[in-house]
Amino acid sequence: MVYFGDLKAKKGKIHIDKDRCKGCQFCAEYCPKDVLEMSEEFNVKGYHPPYVKNEDDCLYCQLCETICPEFAIFVTLKKEEEEGEKGESRP
Amino acid sequence: MKRTGIFVCHCGINIAGTVDVKKVAKELSKHKGVVHAEDYVYVCSDPGQNIIINAIKEKKLDSVVVACCSPTLHETTFRNTSKSAGLNAFQCEIANIREQCSWVHKDMEKATDKAIRITKSTVQRVRRNESLEPISVPVTRKAMVIGGGIAGIQSALDLANTGFEVILVERAPSIGGHMIQLSETFPTLDCSQCILTPKMVEVSKHPKIKLMTYSEVQDISGYVGNFKVKILKKPTYVDPDKCTLCDECTKVCPVVVPNEFDLGLTGRRAIYIPFPQAIPATFTLDIKSCPGLLPIACGKCADVCEPDAIDYDMKPEIVEEEVGAIIVATGYDLYEKELLTEYGYGKYPDVLDGLQFERLLSASGPTMGKILRPSDHKVPKEVVFIQCAGSRDPELHCAYCSKICCMYTAKHAMLYKHHVHDGQAYVFYIDIRSGGKDYEEFVQRAVENDGVLYLRGKVSKIFEDNGKIKVWGVDTLTGKDIEIDADMVVLATATRPSKGADELAKKLKIAMDKDGFLAEAHPKLRPVESVTSGMFLAGAAQAPKDIPEAVAQASGAAAKAISILSQDRLYHAPTVAKVNINLCTGCGMCVQVCPYDALSLKDGKAEVNEVLCEGCGTCSATCLRAAIQVKNMTPLQVNEMIKASLGG
Repeated sequence: MVYFGDLKAKKGKIHIDKDRCKGCQFCAEYCPKDVLEMSEEFNVKGYHPPYVKNEDDCLYCQLCETICPEFAIFVTLKKEEEEGEKGESRP
Repeated sequence: MKRTGIFVCHCGINIAGTVDVKKVAKELSKHKGVVHAEDYVYVCSDPGQNIIINAIKEKKLDSVVVACCSPTLHETTFRNTSKSAGLNAFQCEIANIREQCSWVHKDMEKATDKAIRITKSTVQRVRRNESLEPISVPVTRKAMVIGGGIAGIQSALDLANTGFEVILVERAPSIGGHMIQLSETFPTLDCSQCILTPKMVEVSKHPKIKLMTYSEVQDISGYVGNFKVKILKKPTYVDPDKCTLCDECTKVCPVVVPNEFDLGLTGRRAIYIPFPQAIPATFTLDIKSCPGLLPIACGKCADVCEPDAIDYDMKPEIVEEEVGAIIVATGYDLYEKELLTEYGYGKYPDVLDGLQFERLLSASGPTMGKILRPSDHKVPKEVVFIQCAGSRDPELHCAYCSKICCMYTAKHAMLYKHHVHDGQAYVFYIDIRSGGKDYEEFVQRAVENDGVLYLRGKVSKIFEDNGKIKVWGVDTLTGKDIEIDADMVVLATATRPSKGADELAKKLKIAMDKDGFLAEAHPKLRPVESVTSGMFLAGAAQAPKDIPEAVAQASGAAAKAISILSQDRLYHAPTVAKVNINLCTGCGMCVQVCPYDALSLKDGKAEVNEVLCEGCGTCSATCLRAAIQVKNMTPLQVNEMIKASLGG
């Protein structure tokens, strides 16, 4: 628990284009915060795409975005954290 | 047959009060080989020593036994006396009839008999003593200081200013220790950072000091004057030479973890500089909180770093150094939150420890010097300070007094009143220990000028109620129960040896006391030396102490280290183990039991490193073939000593 200062952990919003996914599982495997997991459902190609298990843990590191061979996943920075980004050091 | 002289000391009545010293001298004069025996009131005095010198010359003595106090005290005195009369120093032995006889007995007759036996057995020993010369070893003229707090900084500066090279090893990313976290210091209320940062800068700029931050001592071998150390330099993943402190990396780092420097009151990024005046002034990437070092796992800091200072491929490095003396100044930590649950510490955000309150008071702290409650950022109007939180509590916590808390609580309460004029400060105390220059006056000032209310008693319960922290206690002076609706509670938490100090002590082979503080060689006469020669202690690692004491001890330790480093050669006692190669079977049992790592097997036979050997005799007791014996304490000598003790 941090009590002073406006330093906040960055939060990402994950966008998945399910139908592009080929189920390689790289994103779920390499996410440092275990945010993603493979789902049971099928996409149009017949693969299991990932789903966001716990978005609050997402750090906006964009590893999934970089690693995905199919450009099926990308992350955006959540708005309120963008504002908190300005005053970095002390109040 | 040797010609031995006996000198029995009265030591005032310390010995003569329980032992009939005249009888001891008389009995010994009849002993085989004794050509001179006399008693004197203080043999260690100048006239006493002259008696020995004259007897050696007149009676042509070739060995001397002084029956007196412990050899730890006057062995050197009498060996030097004998040497000045032309004897080999190792032909002089001490029979301890004070600590091992007169002080522990009451019955004069029995004590006298025991003193005679002790002295006779020493005569038997000295009969077979060889003449020896001290072993000389060279000295590496360089020192290592472990710990970069105020004590370590002071020691390093004193050594470096004398002209010796110093390696200052600090575990954290910056030097400064706990002192740099403090706001003002008692009893003068000068700003801690203002008086410490000049010293830190001096360390960083000093040509004789090699500063190694984010580093830990991994291994140590060797002996006084010639230590070999391995220092692990942890990777910071930032090249300090390239880093321009532009602060761009922290803007993109997505992680926030509690900032250790503010004790969790604020957060920091995974890449951070501990505080603005940090030495060395550079960022550190904390790998434990970083999402990962693979450039594609995040990698945002490296992307924005214009000078290209971030290097994810940096590896841990082992640096090997040779030093002649070591000063250990590993400092203290506060008593763990988990162990002090009765005060709601760690449970309620407005129950703080002393260091957290220091950060709130600090002009460069999380609130820029405003005193605010962590929970709702409001100014607390009623603050309760609780002393001895964890100290002086042998049943549940630490039995010892943490020493600094009485003074810093008075300072906290005083500074709180300076910040919040209409606030009220209460201090629960057991008693006030304000020994020190201007300390008592300081506490009185807090009471009289600043209206701090001191309540003698202990707190029985603390709980949260309606946004307030209810403090229940009892005032033992009036016998009344006390209930305070406090806005904030500050605990004067006990100090403990810093985490990891025990492991380091094991590596350095220096002893710890029952509380885990590093043990000094003698509590009064050798307060800055450890039991291992060449290693010295400074600061709160040895016992809780305030800044002036830590600085004084640090300078003392530096002076002790200088007394080693300034020698051309060092001398080691020659009473070491010796191997009879013809008898040794190379079983290696002695190698295993040697507590000083002085033995090894070479070509199938045991070999003694004479410099490491302390002559303890463990090897000799272990060897099944009597192939290894300590000089001047051979099995033959021990056997004859036992016979003499038994009256044979």
